Amino acid sequence: MINHYVPTSLNDALKYLSTHDCYIMSGGTDLMVQKHVSSLVLPRFDKDVLYVGELKELQYIKEDKDGNILIGAETKYADLLLSPIVPEIYKTVIKEIASPNIRNMATMVGNIGNASPAGDSLVPLILNDAEVVLKSVNGERVLKVSEYILGVKKTARKNDEIIVEIRLLKQNLRYLYRKVGARKAESITKVSCLVGYQIKEKKLIDFRVAFGSVGVTIIRNLEIENKYKNIEVKDLDVDRVISDYYQLVTPIDDQRSNKEYRHKVAMNLLRKFLLELKGGIDE
Amino acid sequence: MKINFKLNGSNVTVDVVPSKRLLDVLREDLHLTGTKEGCGEGECGACTVLVDNRPINSCIAPIANIANKEVITIEGFRETKAYRVIADAFADMGGSQCGFCTPGMILATYAVLRDNPHPTEEEARIALSGNLCRCTGYQAIVNAVLKASEKGIKL
Repeated sequence: MINHYVPTSLNDALKYLSTHDCYIMSGGTDLMVQKHVSSLVLPRFDKDVLYVGELKELQYIKEDKDGNILIGAETKYADLLLSPIVPEIYKTVIKEIASPNIRNMATMVGNIGNASPAGDSLVPLILNDAEVVLKSVNGERVLKVSEYILGVKKTARKNDEIIVEIRLLKQNLRYLYRKVGARKAESITKVSCLVGYQIKEKKLIDFRVAFGSVGVTIIRNLEIENKYKNIEVKDLDVDRVISDYYQLVTPIDDQRSNKEYRHKVAMNLLRKFLLELKGGIDE
Repeated sequence: MKINFKLNGSNVTVDVVPSKRLLDVLREDLHLTGTKEGCGEGECGACTVLVDNRPINSCIAPIANIANKEVITIEGFRETKAYRVIADAFADMGGSQCGFCTPGMILATYAVLRDNPHPTEEEARIALSGNLCRCTGYQAIVNAVLKASEKGIKL
């Protein structure tokens, strides 16, 4: 017997979670598709469902005293786009997710929770070291999004926990981003690349690279990034950076694309962005 | 489970499983068949309705998420002046052929013109990017949005 529970508050939801292994339903734009059977037939769930999507106490966007942006887990993408305090890079990425209707329903926490390698918002979240706050009746813990996502559809969430907040830590980066899909709207990413960097006195003082849809999760490698920090921008060896990432990018064949194409495009995007980064020193 | 919401201006209560799709509640429980089902996967926008004034895909909205909200379907929207302007523009510009996508297109058009009364062609295309049409090739629909924008939807 599958139970459907619509909590009246976060505490109510946490109590339910402490004794039930559930699907946690936010906007439903992924789960309702996954569990869809056909017209007039109820979606087929194999365990309880907890509906937290409309909990008002989990819908907020605020800034803390250190300039970090705190997002209530059930805030819709459309509200992130409307907010003056959400960093531009997230908006750039969100604008290319699905369609306006979906962005009115879907949440960033859903993208994190379902842990798809093609989750577009995971790319800036992981590049920017964003965190999630997990809560249960027993307390709270904070994980980086990169620690939370363990693999394809695998996360570090315990059965009694729920993500209550996403923390976008303050960054001073410039970004270069491109999503490649079959269409401009409503496309699931074939490959995406995001480069974040900061240049000071012609030195590359911060350098980060993330790829989406070309591995079991978002690809980011701190060891490689650290090699290029604090070098003169003019000394950045584009071919060397590309060869560092060459083996790390491990796409697969699926209905949307194939591994050769994805690998080639990932490397081409990285090259294009590195050349732009090198060409763009103007201070 | 009993779920209350406002539908086209009136309070309604349905007693259904919380996972039931808003689309099925509208069409089967409440007999409002103006909202269409195309893909059933949130991609085509034929099932577009307004929830708290924003367009959503009712085919992937569990009714639990609609509790205490305000839903407007094409049947309710038809009673407004804005509908008349938009519907006339679609008729004038040939923006509707088989008509299956039209209820969704009309509501998506309303949503963009309400927030942005004079969209550029590009903005109109982005606003309608989640509504698919297999007949018109889209240009006629975009023309209809721009025509409705010229006339103004007078809220």
